[in-house]
Amino acid sequence: MAEENAPQQQSHGPSSGGMRSSGPGGGPGGPGGGRPGGPAKRGKRNFVRKKKVCRFCVDKADFIDYKKAEILAPFIQERGKILPRRMTGTCSRHQRWLTVAIKRAQNIALLPFAAEL
Amino acid sequence: MEERQYDLIFICRPDTPEADIDKVIATLESTAADKGAKIESVAKWGRKRMAYRVQKLHEGYFVYMVIKTTHGEVVKELERRLKVADPVIKYLTVRLDEELKRQEKLKRHRERRAARRPRKAAPAPATPATPAAPIAPPTEQSAPTA
Repeated sequence: MAEENAPQQQSHGPSSGGMRSSGPGGGPGGPGGGRPGGPAKRGKRNFVRKKKVCRFCVDKADFIDYKKAEILAPFIQERGKILPRRMTGTCSRHQRWLTVAIKRAQNIALLPFAAEL
Repeated sequence: MEERQYDLIFICRPDTPEADIDKVIATLESTAADKGAKIESVAKWGRKRMAYRVQKLHEGYFVYMVIKTTHGEVVKELERRLKVADPVIKYLTVRLDEELKRQEKLKRHRERRAARRPRKAAPAPATPATPAAPIAPPTEQSAPTA
């Protein structure tokens, strides 16, 4: 029994020592920590993101009319906030024109500043 | 001074009779004429629901007009008229000529680019045709000689 225990302890000894040595050797985080994290992330990221395209670029719009509230309506939230580019995919140039158009439309009561309750 | 273009929109109370709205438009037209401005078009959008309450009203009668002028002070006078007009509850004037100029410029730019594109495409098929041409004539020449 004693003989059996001894090798077990010995076997534990080197293995644990190896773990310890690999810990500092791998550095902070270590490759061991990174490896299980990596595949998991890749697995989560597996869905296909549809590329957002600026709707005004598709239409080749040179001018955004503030009088057409139905065109501007999809770019505001329900409560009246202007949606950011990262939500709508509008290009920077058209977003600039769009904000001006929305603000003008708000001033003449075609679009709400803030939706009424 | 170059000519400027303005959009003028005003909203009347929904219960005003058509005649009163015409009267407001007429006064605007006369003041514009006095100051040397031209009203290009008048469009009555009619009764519409407003996006928010104005003077405790939910609906309004929208009128839209386009004004062209070389004197910017006309706008001041027109807005003063709208402010004192009883049926008018809201108005907005927007200067648009600079944006329209930009729009035209972009449009021209696009057309020019579209015109250039086929010219670029044309040389590509032409180049393979030219090496083929020298080969063809010798065979033709050889054929008659033979």
